[in-house]
Amino acid sequence: MSKLSNIWVFSDIASRLPEIIAAGVALGEKVSAFVIGTEADINRAYSFGATHVYCLGDKDSQKITEDYSNTIAKVISSSTDTNTLMLLAANKRCKALASKLGVQLQAGVVNDVTEINIDNGICAKHMAYGGLAIAEEKINSPIAIMTLSSGVFEAQVADTNNTGEAVNVAFVEPKTPIKCIERRAKQGESVDLGKAKRVIGVGSGIGSKDNLQIASELSEIIGAELGCSRPIAETEKWMDRERYIGVSGVMLKPEIYLALGISGQIQHMVGALGSQTIFAVNKDKNAPIFQYVDYGIVGDINKVMPALINALKA
Amino acid sequence: MKIITCYKLVPEEQDIAINADGNLDISKAAPKINPFDLCAVETGVQLKGLIDDCSITAMSVGGKALTNPKARKDVLSRGPDDLTVVIDDKFEQLLPHQTARILMAAAQKTGFDLIICGDGSSDLYAQQVGLQLGELLGVANINAVSKIISAEPGKLIVERALDNEVEVLELVLPAVISVSADINEPTIPSMKTILAAAKKPVTVLSAADLDLSDITELVELVSVIAPKQKTRQNIVIEGDDEQQIAQFAEHLRKALK
Ligand SMILES: Cc1cc2nc3c(=O)[nH]c(=O)nc-3n(C[C@H](O)[C@H](O)[C@H](O)COP(=O)(O)OP(=O)(O)OC[C@H]3O[C@@H](n4cnc5c(N)ncnc54)[C@H](O)[C@@H]3O)c2cc1C
Repeated sequence: MSKLSNIWVFSDIASRLPEIIAAGVALGEKVSAFVIGTEADINRAYSFGATHVYCLGDKDSQKITEDYSNTIAKVISSSTDTNTLMLLAANKRCKALASKLGVQLQAGVVNDVTEINIDNGICAKHMAYGGLAIAEEKINSPIAIMTLSSGVFEAQVADTNNTGEAVNVAFVEPKTPIKCIERRAKQGESVDLGKAKRVIGVGSGIGSKDNLQIASELSEIIGAELGCSRPIAETEKWMDRERYIGVSGVMLKPEIYLALGISGQIQHMVGALGSQTIFAVNKDKNAPIFQYVDYGIVGDINKVMPALINALKA
Repeated sequence: MKIITCYKLVPEEQDIAINADGNLDISKAAPKINPFDLCAVETGVQLKGLIDDCSITAMSVGGKALTNPKARKDVLSRGPDDLTVVIDDKFEQLLPHQTARILMAAAQKTGFDLIICGDGSSDLYAQQVGLQLGELLGVANINAVSKIISAEPGKLIVERALDNEVEVLELVLPAVISVSADINEPTIPSMKTILAAAKKPVTVLSAADLDLSDITELVELVSVIAPKQKTRQNIVIEGDDEQQIAQFAEHLRKALK
């Protein structure tokens, strides 16, 4: 596979940068990282394998990261590299940045990329139709922009021998800046369901908060993290949004997934299909979830949950 | 204030079949309003309740599905005052940068103070249209809006829930916002609003009515194919007698080892 001359990389979330640089190293001869932050952040980018760093300045609480799009676009458009690719983390902020850059650089954009191929032009794959299908898109513009899903590339290991100087870039004021009045850390715990070895997913069939307590007891017994379907997080608000599984939530890769009272719509299942073994309890024998299980039981969770607790405690 | 709420018609996922070669068969899937856009329409309706002298135009671009009277009535029954649709055979399978370009031309024609889009659509989930539209129009634009805090002439304050932080942002109008699915629970239209919808004005435009110089194809869609699924055991125990549950528990116990 021939490489592209240069890959531009950016992530607003520090923990995603090593993976994105890894993608850059795999695909490009040079990896040019944009960094907003301090000397330590610049050194960090070099240590993970960036060959060039462009520093956009210190973090500024009044500015939103998206307003750096004009600054980034100016650097990219004044570069002599043609046929390049810019990679960003696949989160809301970087997606906003990607679209803005797409218009400013007249570049094709693909979000949530799960596979990149540069053998025959620049092509990218991403999930479509709520997980029913994978769409492949080909980018025809000289600059391609993608937000990369997590887990696609193995993160680079830091090597502090890799160092360099950053090029300081002056801020380019956007035409219509957005003022940040307040910024606060999100409430709630932080869980990483995507890394859990065992997960119990709770769906609308759970019926009540009391039953949620029982599901949580079961999860403790088997050493599982508790996750849920979207309605439990978004409609009932019984669990944090960080815990809902599926195309618009978390993608799982556990050894065991046990679904309790979940119907098994594709948008949910996409998040669970990476599980090694899938178990499900649902009282409706025609529930779509049974098409995806290794082991299922057609039964009422009010009966099955307590019985499972007893059986597995022993 | 003049609000435009954009929406896309997407195929009903439940009715999409998968052919043996992995291609999707959407011929039996009825078009419906993209669920995320229902939140955008609802946001417009809620804003209208806060502002004196406010009108909402629903807007969509696409192919012949947009000629469907039922789909038109559906969007209008949810609160917009009128509807503008841009229909052309060439607009059948648009990619986001093209949709944004056409919406830009249509929005410039109708005028606006605020455009509200959904964060993405349930088909390609490209999550770009609102942002690219705002950027093309040269106005303030942002995605992931999870709450409207205040609206007054010339200024909008919104909350934005990101992965690990919440931002409160001030946008100068005109602006384009894309809202996340958790911003509201769209109300279900009542019989009364459905009947009233039939009387609301609809403007139909074609590509020729808009100032659309060549739209470059920055991206092309190569294929949409269902992925191969892992084979599963598919052992389903029917019934929740003590013995049957014990059998299920045994499978689970084995897997836990
Ligand atoms: C664009 C889009 C994106 C989406 N993204 C996601 C996503 O990321 N994640 C997600 O989860 N959903 C997502 N959804 C929603 C998804 O389509 C389903 O609506 C949702 O997953 C259903 O959740 P559920 O199975 O908990 O509820 P339901 O569909 O209401 O199913 C409840 C199930 O519980 C069973 N049940 C009821 N009572 C009992 C009992 N006592 N004992 C045993 N079983 C019982 C019923 O038989 C039923 O099968 C998305 C939808 C759209 C349109």
